[in-house]
Amino acid sequence: MKEILVISGKGGTGKTSISSSFIHLADNCIACDYDVDASNLPILLKPYDLLSFDFSAGDTAAIDSEICNRCGLCADICRFNAIDSEYKVIPLFCEGCGFCVEICPVQAIKLRARSSGRWFSGLSRQATAVFFAELHPGEENSGKLVAKVKTRARKTAEQDKIPLIIADGPPGIGCAVISSMVGVDLVVLVTEPSRSGFHDLQRVSELIRERSLKGGLIINKWDLNPEVCNEIEDWAQENELPLLGRLPFSVLIAQSIANARIPAENNELREMIFPLWEKVIEQLDGV
Amino acid sequence: MQIAVASGKGGTGKTLISGCLMKILEEENAALIDADVEEPNAGLFFTPASLERNTVHRLVPEIDPDACVLCGKCAEACRFNALVVIADKVLVFKELCHSCGACAYLCPHGAIKEKEHSIGVIEEARLPGNGTLVIGRLTVGEAQSPPLIKAAKQRNTQSAVRIIDCPPGTTCAMIEAISDSDYCILVTEPTPFGLHDLELSVEAVRMLGIPGGLVINRWQGEEKELTCLSRKTGFPILACIPFSKELAQTYMQGGEALEAFPALRSILKDLIKRVKEELS
Repeated sequence: MKEILVISGKGGTGKTSISSSFIHLADNCIACDYDVDASNLPILLKPYDLLSFDFSAGDTAAIDSEICNRCGLCADICRFNAIDSEYKVIPLFCEGCGFCVEICPVQAIKLRARSSGRWFSGLSRQATAVFFAELHPGEENSGKLVAKVKTRARKTAEQDKIPLIIADGPPGIGCAVISSMVGVDLVVLVTEPSRSGFHDLQRVSELIRERSLKGGLIINKWDLNPEVCNEIEDWAQENELPLLGRLPFSVLIAQSIANARIPAENNELREMIFPLWEKVIEQLDGV
Repeated sequence: MQIAVASGKGGTGKTLISGCLMKILEEENAALIDADVEEPNAGLFFTPASLERNTVHRLVPEIDPDACVLCGKCAEACRFNALVVIADKVLVFKELCHSCGACAYLCPHGAIKEKEHSIGVIEEARLPGNGTLVIGRLTVGEAQSPPLIKAAKQRNTQSAVRIIDCPPGTTCAMIEAISDSDYCILVTEPTPFGLHDLELSVEAVRMLGIPGGLVINRWQGEEKELTCLSRKTGFPILACIPFSKELAQTYMQGGEALEAFPALRSILKDLIKRVKEELS
């Protein structure tokens, strides 16, 4: 079983357009969305027969106001400013470290498991199985939720002998991205020829180099700025990052997304995207 | 006045809008704080004369092997499994540590001291028009951005207007970036992705009780959708920025958006007026 991860550093460069198209073009694959706080892949894949599971990571402190003697020690030691002036816990700021529980002289504080989000599995016409998640707004632990989705997807792939996982990744370079990269065979970097796209690409590719992962580059909307596109290609060559291909700016892709359709479902777009998919398979040494 | 510029989806135009707002407000003693520390881009649109760099640290435990008796109290107290006691020493996993300080405080033998671990830098520059630019830049490989966002926001607290360019999404990093703001501008694009993620970010802004409004970027005349959106979210639509290829191309090149698309200046001036009205 092999896993492909599509990431970009910068948001809005076309990760979901490309990952959904690859999912459509693959014969037999599992689709995953690791962008657990703003998951968009299900909008295109329209999974059905959904099973939903609660995800709990970490705890939140709760102060029993009847036992609390208002000594204020908890508020003094809390580094997250999670205890307000009336000695109530602000759940949004509490990281569940339990320091307050340990030092409370009258044992008025307890930790309670917190619900951090939900994860889902479902079926789709495009993929053998679809896994995605929804982190509750403001929650941390997005990395752990990504790990949960990944573990379930990999288990299903092994059990059902599905040879490939294609994952749409989150933007940025933080915990969710780092967690997305675990065990991946090929990282597809999608960029756009803009100063910010290029800047962010360099940071995210440093991350994959640090982890000795194999990468491949796609320059989306390349014709909007051929000059920066050339700079990116030169940089990729110097850094031994294989170019999987370029895609021109296309109104058809924008229309597909506006209609919540996978771009590669359109014949013209399929022809444009298919050569990139072949390159991906080549980089994977087959599936 | 502190205004956060946020969005659920990435690439909707947060940095374009916060950067242009800064250019318009520069002479009013404004500060632009790039709190998208994983991928900070605001600096690409300014050419500051000189840059001051400061490293930001967070605290992680360091074990004094001479004082440690391997009692395991620290590992027991750590809810994040950042400390593990093995046969002859205590291992520290910095990346799992949340810097809560419990282990150092609770160690019965005083064997734990907290030492500084670098997580990134804050770059600070005066701009020609008298504004200040503050950029948080997370070290590649570092997983936790909120402590750096917090540190970046603690700079230039004296500025009359502070604009926070926020990270995408709705996680703890976004909350850290928008918290303490007087107002939150949510930037979206009229696509199914943009609208889906917008609803999630509205929920996050609501949780903090911060008043907010919407800016529709790359608007192509969708009228019904807008009314529906405003009703659904309860947030007013502050501005619509029409799609412009010139604007997109200039922005991609890192050029002057306000010059390439002059209408943007009046749209954003109106936006500032709207926000001030909403706040008064």
